[in-house]
Amino acid sequence: MTMDIETVKERAGPRQFNPADDLPEEYRKAATRMIEFHANSEIMGAYLERPFIRQAPSIDRKLAFSAKVQDEIGHGQLLYRAAETLGIKTREEMLDDLAAGNGKFLNCFHYPMESWEETPMIAFFVDGAAMRRQATLRRTSWEPYAHAMDKVCFEEGFHVKHGEDILATLMSGSRAEQRRTQEAFEEWWPRIIQFFGPTDDRSTHHDFAADVGLKQMTNDELRQAFLDMYVPKARSYGLELPEYPRVYQNDEGRWVVEEDDLDWDEFFTVARNNYEPGVGQIDARARAQEAVEWVRGVVESDAPAAGGQAPQAAD
Amino acid sequence: MTRIWEVFRQAEKGEYHTHCGNVHAPDREMAKQFAAIQHGRRKPTNSIWVVPKDEVGEIDTDDVAFGGTTDKGYRWTTAYNLQTRQAEEVEESDAEQQDAEKRRRTA
Repeated sequence: MTMDIETVKERAGPRQFNPADDLPEEYRKAATRMIEFHANSEIMGAYLERPFIRQAPSIDRKLAFSAKVQDEIGHGQLLYRAAETLGIKTREEMLDDLAAGNGKFLNCFHYPMESWEETPMIAFFVDGAAMRRQATLRRTSWEPYAHAMDKVCFEEGFHVKHGEDILATLMSGSRAEQRRTQEAFEEWWPRIIQFFGPTDDRSTHHDFAADVGLKQMTNDELRQAFLDMYVPKARSYGLELPEYPRVYQNDEGRWVVEEDDLDWDEFFTVARNNYEPGVGQIDARARAQEAVEWVRGVVESDAPAAGGQAPQAAD
Repeated sequence: MTRIWEVFRQAEKGEYHTHCGNVHAPDREMAKQFAAIQHGRRKPTNSIWVVPKDEVGEIDTDDVAFGGTTDKGYRWTTAYNLQTRQAEEVEESDAEQQDAEKRRRTA
């Protein structure tokens, strides 16, 4: 018998539910929305970073950058698996939705990235923000999601430290490099803060996701933890916070953002997949998916029916 | 026909099912019962999976060179000696990676 929503809320704790549980559709849909968003973000982020494997300034950076992009695609695959286990959407449906512009993903990956100086904005700050969030999701109530997070967090530490290493190199480089890095930071900083979405009082999905244990921390708590860690880091490398959004330290020494200084109209345009450069990025990935369609076709038509009991030629 | 069933035990809810042995059984029902008796009695057990051995695919070091043998230091957190304070979750990843590296070296 399907568990009722009150029972789900009562039992909601870290790694409480798995595919053997008959969960109500409301839970399965909320979990699917969250994990699909996460999976799509891994894929779109990897596509954004991929051109920089070629543009990396040294062989070490090239190796590390290609390893990182490979990891991110792998994270996408793990997450589509975790989402599929909820029985709401298949992997094919999620990939098709993403290609058609109906799949949602992280705001930062809707913006184009053009120069090497921009890479630490994703590889350090966005990945740092993502890792903050992912660390809390190791305690999510959907067990397959939590297990995926174990592997993701294991690998992600390398991404964040590598990203910081790129930033450290750039900020101790030539004046021109430092200036370009500062410019990239000013452009990306507001988007990076918006990574955590609107404040809790304006967040649409939080309450239910928190009640059923899918989400373990609120947007506000995550944003706070991120700012307290990463504002001092940015400053320690000589980056200056732009004038807007206004960011200041409160009486407790915690970093606070003037939320109204952020462009929320743009954020919601981005979130609805209506932001022009982002649409281009969605379409570019769709073309890549289409270009390898024949490979999928060959793989699927060659594969024997699932299960090792498929008849062999000699049987 | 009696088959061999590989047994995977999960100690506590939310943890991983890890391989712990196998049982002989004529069918899935019996395999579950044998597995519960042989592998679920002494150690704390929340759940057990049984899988017919011939349904398990295997690939080993004779077939393929697995990762971790060539120097891919750039993939590890330990390659980036930043001398800065790291976020708690980055520290945690760092510790897990150091542990994995240690085990790889002693393997």
